[in-house]
Amino acid sequence: MATHALRWSIVGCIGVMLCVGTGCTRSIELKPSSAELQPVESHSLANNERVPLVMDSFHLLRNGAPQNPSAEVERRILNKVQETRLFSTLIPLGAKPDSLGEKIVSARVTLDETIEPHSWLSAFKGIVLGGSMFLLSPFVDFEYDYAAKVGLELERWDGQVKRYEGISSGTVQYKLFGATPVMIDELKGHVTEACLTELTAQLVRDTTLYMASSAPVSNPGIRSVTVRAQRPSTTLPTRLTVPATTPPLP
Amino acid sequence: MTWIAHIVTTTMVCLIMTVPIAQADDGSPTITVGTQEVGLTAGYMFSHRLTDLHTTKQHGPAVMPSWMITLTDPIGDSWYRGQISLGAEMVYLEFREPLVTHGIGFTPRIKYTFVALGRVRPYAEFAGGPFWTDLGGRIREEANEFNFVLTGGVGVSWFITPQLAFNAGYRFHHISNAGTAYPNLGLNASLPFGGFSFYF
Repeated sequence: MATHALRWSIVGCIGVMLCVGTGCTRSIELKPSSAELQPVESHSLANNERVPLVMDSFHLLRNGAPQNPSAEVERRILNKVQETRLFSTLIPLGAKPDSLGEKIVSARVTLDETIEPHSWLSAFKGIVLGGSMFLLSPFVDFEYDYAAKVGLELERWDGQVKRYEGISSGTVQYKLFGATPVMIDELKGHVTEACLTELTAQLVRDTTLYMASSAPVSNPGIRSVTVRAQRPSTTLPTRLTVPATTPPLP
Repeated sequence: MTWIAHIVTTTMVCLIMTVPIAQADDGSPTITVGTQEVGLTAGYMFSHRLTDLHTTKQHGPAVMPSWMITLTDPIGDSWYRGQISLGAEMVYLEFREPLVTHGIGFTPRIKYTFVALGRVRPYAEFAGGPFWTDLGGRIREEANEFNFVLTGGVGVSWFITPQLAFNAGYRFHHISNAGTAYPNLGLNASLPFGGFSFYF
């Protein structure tokens, strides 16, 4: 009798451990996967070849709706750009640098996020799980999708503009008891990192474009303005200017 | 049962006293997918005799510890914007009439919380599951001790801090044995309740 009870206790324990183990799992799938991303090779530029990078604007869109961008995200993007060692200084939005010299690169960043939490499907699965007294928990997967597109537009001191773009997406698959707000942060973190890695890889390929010696400074104080006389319309009567008085000859 | 009421009251008073007043001005709670909620709710049950065959005037206190997990981000863009949570609840009832008896049950619970009002969040909930009571077999409405409990109700959560909320509401309780034994008239009751939830 004791042996019988012991056997069933062991079977029961293994069953509970399997259910708990499989019911608490979660995984993150990235596209492109982190293995496909090449690490950014930073070029060692001489200090006098590096120019400052100044953040000009930062726009954040979430599912197409404009959002208030956070300084944390901006800092993360700047940190990633800093890793390329292409620029001497990175100036965030709103900062007032002392003197940057004549050669600076202006950066305009857009972050377009797409979030698909599959809410209705999750709600339906929740009802099914509740109805099963949670017995189906190890067998029902929940999903949460996140995609991001980071655009970086750099304008060189001479007015040349170049645009870079990093795109990535990911899905976190989780069981009911494995759900935690941290997993969403993890997913967003991985996707953003993949975007920025792709972006900086493109940026590094253009290293020579942002070297101080790559282009002379265009003097912004002198601007040539072409003014043309308005050609009189044929439909309107032309005005003839006639001097009213003729100066007397000496 | 008095000691349970004392524990609940003491816990709630302690929580109120330990919540910094400054935090009351914090913004709305940020509840996302995976946010968990543990709560303790207590109330008092008043019987409803819906037919002439119902004679038992059962009443007594109820204590309901619960756990929930948020399944969705807010759904919708209007006043009905809300989130769905799934969880489980233990139900303990003490019947003081017609006999001092007890009941305990376990119910999966689903809840829709309206989030449009910020810190004040109304909700609707539904729960159902197995329920055991030694009142069964001693009254004409229920033949056996193993039953099921079904509850549905509405309530409101008031977030003192982004992590702590007080809840109050009303539930309708139905206890019956799903036809596993006869008679099976069922016990019906109203259950006004109050409690608190902690979110993490």
